[in-house]
Parts: sequence; C-alpha cells; structure tokens
Amino acid sequence: MLKFEKRENIPLHLRILIPLISILLGVLIGGIAVMFSQVNPLTVYKAIFIGAFGSTYVFSETIVVAIPLLLISVGLILVFKMNYWNIGAYGQYIMGAIFCTYFALNSAETMSRPILLMMMCIAGMVGGALWALIPAALKAYWKVNEVIATLLLNYIALYSLKFLMYGPWRNPRSFGFPLTKIFDLNAQLPKLISHTRIHLGLIFGIIAAIIIWIIIKKTKFGYEIRVIGENEIVARYAGINIAKNIILAMIISGGLAGLAGMAQISGIIHMLQIEINPDYGYTAIIVAWLSGLNALTAMIVSFFLGGLFAGASQIQITMKVPIGIVGLIESSILFFLLGGAILTNYKLYYKGRKII
Amino acid sequence: MRPDAYAITIILLAATVESGTILLFPIIGEIFTERSGILNLGIEGMMIIGALVGFATAFMTGQIYWAFFMGMLAGGLASLIHAFISITLRGNQVVSGLALSIFGLGVTNFYGQEFVNLQLAHTIPQVIIPGLSQIPFFGPILFKQDYMVYLSYILVIITWFILFKTKAGIQLRAVGQNAQAADAMGVNVYKVRYFWTFFGGLMAGAGGAYLTLNCAPFWLDGITAGRGWVAIALVIFARWNPPYALIGAYLFGAINALQFQLQSMGTTIPSALLSMQPYFLTFILIIVATLLVKAKHIGVPKELGIPYAREEK
Amino acid sequence: MGAIVLQVKNISKHFPGVLANDHINFDLRKGEIHTLLGENGAGKTTLMNILDGIYYPDEGEIYLNGKKVDIRSPFEATKNGIGMIHQHFMLVDTLTVLENVVLGLESQGFYLNKKKIAERIKEISQNYNLNINPYAKIWQLSVGEQQRVEIIKTLFRGAKILIMDEPTAVLTPQEADTLFKILRRMIKEDKSIIFISHKLDEVMKISDRITVLRKGKLVGTVDKKEIKQKELAKMMVGREVLFRLERNPMRRKGEVLKIEDLETHNDKGIKILRGINFSLPGGEIFGLAGVSGNGQTELAEVIVGLRRAIAGKVYIKGEEVTNLYPKAITKEGTNYIPPDRLKVGLVPNLSSVENAILRRYDREPISRGIFLNYEEAAKYTRELIKQFNIMVPRENAPVKFLSGGNLQKLILAREIREEPALLIAVHPSRGLDVGATEFVRKKLLEERDQGVAILLISEDLEELLMISDRIGVIYEGKIVGMVDIDDANINEIGLMMAGVHKNPLLKGEENVKV
Repeated sequence: MLKFEKRENIPLHLRILIPLISILLGVLIGGIAVMFSQVNPLTVYKAIFIGAFGSTYVFSETIVVAIPLLLISVGLILVFKMNYWNIGAYGQYIMGAIFCTYFALNSAETMSRPILLMMMCIAGMVGGALWALIPAALKAYWKVNEVIATLLLNYIALYSLKFLMYGPWRNPRSFGFPLTKIFDLNAQLPKLISHTRIHLGLIFGIIAAIIIWIIIKKTKFGYEIRVIGENEIVARYAGINIAKNIILAMIISGGLAGLAGMAQISGIIHMLQIEINPDYGYTAIIVAWLSGLNALTAMIVSFFLGGLFAGASQIQITMKVPIGIVGLIESSILFFLLGGAILTNYKLYYKGRKII
Repeated sequence: MRPDAYAITIILLAATVESGTILLFPIIGEIFTERSGILNLGIEGMMIIGALVGFATAFMTGQIYWAFFMGMLAGGLASLIHAFISITLRGNQVVSGLALSIFGLGVTNFYGQEFVNLQLAHTIPQVIIPGLSQIPFFGPILFKQDYMVYLSYILVIITWFILFKTKAGIQLRAVGQNAQAADAMGVNVYKVRYFWTFFGGLMAGAGGAYLTLNCAPFWLDGITAGRGWVAIALVIFARWNPPYALIGAYLFGAINALQFQLQSMGTTIPSALLSMQPYFLTFILIIVATLLVKAKHIGVPKELGIPYAREEK
Repeated sequence: MGAIVLQVKNISKHFPGVLANDHINFDLRKGEIHTLLGENGAGKTTLMNILDGIYYPDEGEIYLNGKKVDIRSPFEATKNGIGMIHQHFMLVDTLTVLENVVLGLESQGFYLNKKKIAERIKEISQNYNLNINPYAKIWQLSVGEQQRVEIIKTLFRGAKILIMDEPTAVLTPQEADTLFKILRRMIKEDKSIIFISHKLDEVMKISDRITVLRKGKLVGTVDKKEIKQKELAKMMVGREVLFRLERNPMRRKGEVLKIEDLETHNDKGIKILRGINFSLPGGEIFGLAGVSGNGQTELAEVIVGLRRAIAGKVYIKGEEVTNLYPKAITKEGTNYIPPDRLKVGLVPNLSSVENAILRRYDREPISRGIFLNYEEAAKYTRELIKQFNIMVPRENAPVKFLSGGNLQKLILAREIREEPALLIAVHPSRGLDVGATEFVRKKLLEERDQGVAILLISEDLEELLMISDRIGVIYEGKIVGMVDIDDANINEIGLMMAGVHKNPLLKGEENVKV
C-alpha cells in the first residue's frame, strides 16, 4: 500500500517545505492539546505571540532567552554533525556556572571589572569543557555510550550544585535559602541595551554561531567532523584521528554550554542558585535539530523558540497555561520533522500512485 | 546480628525490591525493544506519562489495579509515536526518542497541574504470600510485597523463557541481529519491531504507574527524576538478558533505599551528595559494563538503531 | 530431463535508472541443473530475486507446473517449493543451526521442540552428506559449512526447486567439487536446480542447459553438449574476449614491501594471520589468491594501518611501519583500494569533490592553514574526472548517486594520483561491468609499468592470472605457495588454496596439510 522508492536527487523545494510544514503541524498539535483543557487555542497562541514580540520589552526578553539557547545549540551542532550525541549540555551549563561563581565570590574585590569578567568567562568555558571532556574521553577510548554518560553526568552536576548551594557556598544572610550572595557589579556582564536585560552574552552568541559555521564549512577540522559523522570507517581509513576529534569537538561544545551558564548567572540572575535554567540544555537540542544542524540558521531558530518560551512563560501567569505547552509543541514539531525527513530521500507511493 | 540491625536490614532490602521494581519493568521492556533493533530513548517520557495516567485514574476511580493497567496502556500508546517514526518512516531514532521524552515531560506538566499535591486515598495493597513469606530472611523481603512486584518476578522468568526457548524469541533475536536474513526467512520485520517497541512502552508505563501508585502516592511534575535514563543505562549493564536486569534494577534500588534511609535517619552527609549516589553508581556501572561487553564479544544487537528497508538495491 | 516445472514469461523489472530484466523468457525442467550465465550486472540475481519473492516484476508471469503463481514474498516462494541460497548467506550468526532453520516456520507451535527438529536436520544432513551439527552456532562454522546450512534450510521446507547464487564464490575448487556432488545427488531425487555463475569452467562442468543474460536481456538458451566455452563467452560479453591482457616485461625495482611473521586477529578475536612472510619489489603485481575468509582482507588492513598486528613486522621501503596510524603509512607512499566502495572507500552523502580530496585535504594547495580551499579542491576533482574518464553529472551532488563503475574509478583515481610506491587493491573490479573492469586492470598494469609495487587481492582467479607477475596463495592465515606467472597452473593453485600442496619456491615452509 504505502511504498517508498529511492530518489535520484534531492528536490530543493522539499528541503524548505518539510521544516515549514513540520512547524505548522507541531503548532497545530499544541493547539489541539490546549483545546482539551477547555481553552481557546487561538487566544493562547495570540497571547504567546504578544508575550514574545508584543512590546519592546517582551521582545528584549525573547532575546534574553535566546542567548543561552544560541550559545549551547551551536556547540551541539558541531558535535551532532559528528554523530556524537551530547545530551549533557544541562550539566555542562551548570558546571560553567559553578566555575565562574568561584571568581565572582572570591575575586570581586581584587580584580577590575574587565579582568574579572574575562576570568569568569574563561572559568565558565573551562568548567563546561571539563564536564564534557569526561564523556568524550570515555567514548573516544572505551566506546562508552555517550547518551547515557552525558545524561547521568547531568544529574551528578545538578546534585553537585545543590551540595554547594546548601553547603559551603550558601550565603549566611539568605535565611537558609540556597543562594549565594548577589554578585558585585564587577562580576556582572554589562548590559547592551539600556532598559532591557540584554547583556554582552548576545555578542558571544553571535560570534560563536559564526565561528562554528566557519569551522564546519570551511576548515579541515569541520571536514573531518563531517566525514566522521557520515561514515566512521572511511574516516579511519582516511587517517582521521577520531578520538582527537571527538575530544576537541566536545571541549568546544561543553565550553560553549559552560559559557552560556556563566552568561546567564552573570548577566541575568546575578547570583548562583539552584534554579538557573539549565533546561535550556535540552531545548538547545531541539534548536540544533530544527536548524538542520546549520549554525547560522540556529540564530533564527533560537530566537523563535526563545519567543515561544518567553511568551509561554507570560501566559503561565496570566492565563494559567502550564509551561509544559512549550515542550509539547517543540517535541511535536520535532516528530514531524523526523518523520518527514524520509521524503527528502524517498518518493512516496500510495497504492501505486506517486504522492510526493 | 543485633536484633534492630537485622530488622533494619530486612526493611532496607524490602525497600530495595520495591524501589527496584520501578526500574525493572522499563529495563525489561527496553531490553526487548533493543533486541528487535529499535533504540527507544523515550523511556523517561513514557514512564512519566504512565505515572500521571496511573495516578489520575486511581484518583478518579479509586481502582488501583485498573489504574496500573491504564498507566501501562498509556505508555504503550506513547511508544507508538516513536515506533511509527523509527520503523515505518525510518527516522533518526536517537532524536525521536529524545523528543518522546521531552514530549512526555511537557504533556504531563501540562495536564498534571490539577493533580499536584493531591494524595491517593488507597495505594497498592500489600499482599503477603502465605508460606513463602515465612522463609527466614528472604521471606519478608521478597514475599511481603504487592501484586506488581510478584508480577515483575514472573515477568523476568517468562521473558527469559520467551527469549531463549520459543519461536517468537528466535524471531526477535534474528530481527535484531540480521534483519535482512529474518526478512528472507519470512519474518515480518516491521511487525516484530512494532510489537516489541509497544511492549517496551507498556513496561515503561508500568514502571511509572508503579511509582506514583505505590512508592510516592502523590503527583509531582517530573516525578520520575531521570529513572528513564537510568533504565536505558541498566539495559547495557544487563547485557540484554532479563535475569541480569533484575540485578541492575535491585542494585539501583538498594543505593536508592540506602541513601533515603540515611537521609531520614539524619546523617551528617549532605543530602545532595547522598541523592547523587544512585546516578553516580549507574555511571560507574555503565563504564564497567561497556568494558566487559567489549571483552567478551557479547553483542549489542547488531541492528540497533539501523532502520530496515527491503528493496535497497 | 523431465517435464517443465517452472516457466518465466516476459519478465521485466526496472530500478531507478536501470532496466534490470528486459522481457526475459526462461524455463526449468525437472531433474536438471540449469545455469544462468552472465557477468556482473547482467540481471541474473534480479531475476532470481523475483522468483524468490524479494522483488516483484513490473511485467510478465511465472508458471509453476503449468499453473500461474503470484509470488509476493520469500515466504510465498517457499510455499511454492522454491528455495534460494543467496550469495550473502541469510544466517543469523549468534543463533544455532537449528534456530536458523526454524526461523520463520509457521508450522511450529509456540514452544520449540528442539529434539524433533534436530533429528530431522540430522536426517537431511546424512541423506545428502552435508555433515552439519544442529546445535552449532553459526559464527563457529566455516563458510562452506554455512552454505550447507542454507541448503538444509531449503530442504527442510520441502523445496523442489533450488536456486544457488554464485555458490562457489566462497569455496575452494575442492569444496566446489563437493558441492557439485551434492547437487548431482539432489537432481537424482527429482529436485531441479538453477545455478547462477559467471565462471565458464564451472558452468561447463555442472550444467545441463545454460541460459545467457547480458545487460538485462536474454541472449539465448543452449544445451551444454551443443556449445563450446568460447562461444559461451561471446554470448556473455558480446565480443571477443581477451583471455590474456598485453603485458610489458616486468622490471623489478628495489624492495618496496616486506612482511615478516605477521600475525593478527579478526573481528571475532580469532587469530586469522598466523605468520605471513613475503616481499614485494617495485614494478611487480603480486596477486594473492585464496578463498575469502583466509585472512586476505585482514592482511591488507594490517598493512595500511586499519588493523593491529599482534606479532611480526611490516616494512615499507625499508622503514618499519608496523601498527602506525593509517595517515603515517600513507605518508610512506602507500595507497589502498578497499573492497567495499560505499562502505569503506567513499562517503556516500558527501559530494564528489569532498570525496576526491580525502587523501590530500591536509596538504597544500587544498589545505590553507586550518582552512580548506574549495576552489583548489574542485580544480583537482575536475582533473581526476578528466584523466580517468569518470561520469560525474554534478560535482557537488552526493556521490551516492553515481554508478558503481564510476565510484570505483573515483576511488582508483584518487589513490593512484597520490603516486604511491605501494598500492594495495582488494577486489578492485568486483561488481563492475566489462568496460570498467578492463579499465581498472589496464590502470593497474600502467602503474606497475611506472614502478609501483602492487599487492592485488582478488577472488577472481581469472583476473589474477590475467595481470599478475607472481601469484601467492593464502590459506588459513599463511602463505602456502608462490609461483611466477609463467609457471602458474590453475589446478595447482586450487590445491594450494585448499592447503594440500607443497610449493618448492617457498623456503622453510613445511608441507601444510588440510
């Protein structure tokens, strides 16, 4: 009945249509889910849109959400291209936050702002990179499954954070709440646009996206990564050092996730606490995949998914629509994208007649 | 042994069985799914869907066993999404499974709001098996549990039997090891994969339902706390063999029960570090298991994660 | 020969870009061995896959004992008494013989009555002298034994018509004779056999009738007694076949490759090379013959650094290169044409350009600091295309859309252009049509004339005899014989492939008995 036949080339219009239709269908599913809880989906979507883009301030808040998504997702794009599934951006983000907090708490008096911030950036990247290095080395040398390894490390990172927050780094004046003291101005990333919360991290993100794009498309490292991702045997035969590439790519990916963690607590939260939005690490996976593993596209996709998240956060309060709607919509879009991918390589026949 | 130390040991081990049973169901389910060649990373999502559906059904109908069944079914239905994408549409199984987990977490957050902070009037009743529960030491640990735990014991035995002693088991193993050969021999590869992926979903739902109906009789957003991922890890530890799944599940259950006990007894060890231990242990287990698998040539099912298509010329 | 049991009328089947079967007519009589002859790509396997239900024809009909049948799956083929033994065995290596035989059988209940089935398997095994233990695991069996398991599978299901696709490709000449004895016994029991081959010697030995296919079309069906080998060859190929390629006299130059007591494990951890010794000078083609599975591929992999040697040494141009990384060995001037084009030699989803530069992407001018100069890459690719006459319609499209012959030419071009001192070629013309095959062999001879040392590993004895200067035979991980081409005798080589013969050219080798 349903049959697939191999194509002889990949038609361009499908490459654009399939992602677009996936987005539409995913949004549709979200709307149906909302209908089941007796709320008008159109009202909800309009509210989300307004909550994301409706005023200059919410627009800026969308960008604020997009910053860590962008930073993390472009790092993920690099490793996903290599078929290395880094699900650990959550933990790498946390580690970056932890490492940079060390300097924020201890060196705020002794360093000038630019130096302190630079140290914090480096510390954040180092923290994330180290946390990514562990599963990378395990995979490179002992073939340990990276999905599980990175995932478990997420939980270990989270509990490490909790330990620090309820223990040695707790602010003695916080009435027992697990928070550090508020960062000095010295340790806060400067704002880019006044009257908004957009901070320097935005520049980091854009630069990172461009660098990653250049790496993948134009460097030998990027070429090697693509070969490894497509066919590991050929890569070995071509003399490509797979272990080295896994480790290097993961250091970059973890470093970017760690930098995102630093940017979030230094630029927005201004302290270390348990709730520092590490879930961005999972959302970034969706951003990476929806961007078709293209770092430049990721800028657009992280902006829109950031908007979805920001808008949904608004209506969580105003309309009592739970934030889970975001995950629902995102994963639905992803389902359609994954399912539709077959059409780029295969024609669809139903009862003998060609459909697509 | 001093009498109260003995008593505590019994309690701990019994708690181990309970806690381990939450994992035992999904581990066995995923063993069979992966044996058919399908990698399903959506266990966390299916488990939590089962948890919510089970809880909600119990809350609304008061029928515990019916609720367990509904939770199971919900997990199974959720798995069909992944099955359709992976088997018929030959999509990327890693990302599809992840999407399923995110979907599950999102959906349960969305519909679970009204159940937060509610408590079940009745939880799963304890069913003491006469005679067997008198056995010194093991009796109270193994046979003073509930029907779901007893179900899990039977499940381990039956699934082991099916895998190695029946025609269905041969078909399953063939599909996961050499799908083309199985197809050439007249086995319907798609049907086998759909069946066992659905089974995996049922089992994941069962684990989640058991969690909310018994061990923590209330609903919280994200109550599965990563157990789905631990289950996937323990499948590797079990080397895709049901009896070893028991060992892995109970090991995790033991650490879990132990750290829980320590926390409630008020130790000086920071609670965060204690809570970390089960995950840390699983992390070490994975490394060990991977090295062992490499050394003994006991295979990952060769077809794992690779979509099957017949007319590939 | 008896009545017609199978008739194929007007069968056509097309795949994207190629008409594999073009209105074929063919019949099979009871108790005959009917050979389907043709080269790679002639359409033989496609036609048989249609009979086995793996493909469904676009046109035409199939008749069994006069009745029209519709075969939509291998299962239905089996129900109709057709059993096919493929070139690549359909066996699950982690299961036992018994479990493989039983796989997919409908009549068995839920529980497996292993004893009854084992008895029946032993019965069949004894009846036809197949010598198989039902409880053995497939991965423990030799290739010949695995093939016999395939035969048991079909007989167990009551097959009356057996189709064997290139069965001797993996057997020694002696094992092939054993197989022929088994086949002849079967036709006495009123089975009918379709035998696919492209080896003329065999075909003349075993067939009753021969049907020749060429490029998807039927050329004709003849009685074995009424035709000669040379005429068959002409039917197969369509023109006079060169049985010997023109070769310049060999000019040896220095010692390029030296292997000393080399040992290694295969993927299953079993020792597959047990002490290889030989040396190869520049300007010589050393053809290594041997039944597949005796360590040839592993030998090539060790030399180029894709597999670890556990003992022994490899020297290239006097420098020891044992267990160096592939990149380092390539730097010594070694290039490799691997046996599996799309799995080992090329990246199917990357473009022709990106595949072409695989060997020199980290050297100037294609490499520029950490960057890749895509203009230079494209320029280089176009040079390759011109020099080697490769058909590449779009150089930036994924390379998987090219034909087999062009893929192989691309690999060949890429490797040869590195101007190696040593070239390792494994099954270089497998799966190629006549034109591409001739091209490959000519190029290898050209390189040899330029002074390149070539280690040619091939299953095709004909090919080895055609272009080698020296032929060695590998058996169970050791080189058991070596002859200069002028002294080569195909029977002797066959015996060496079975480990029976002692060869005077080998120093210090004992008589290796089977």
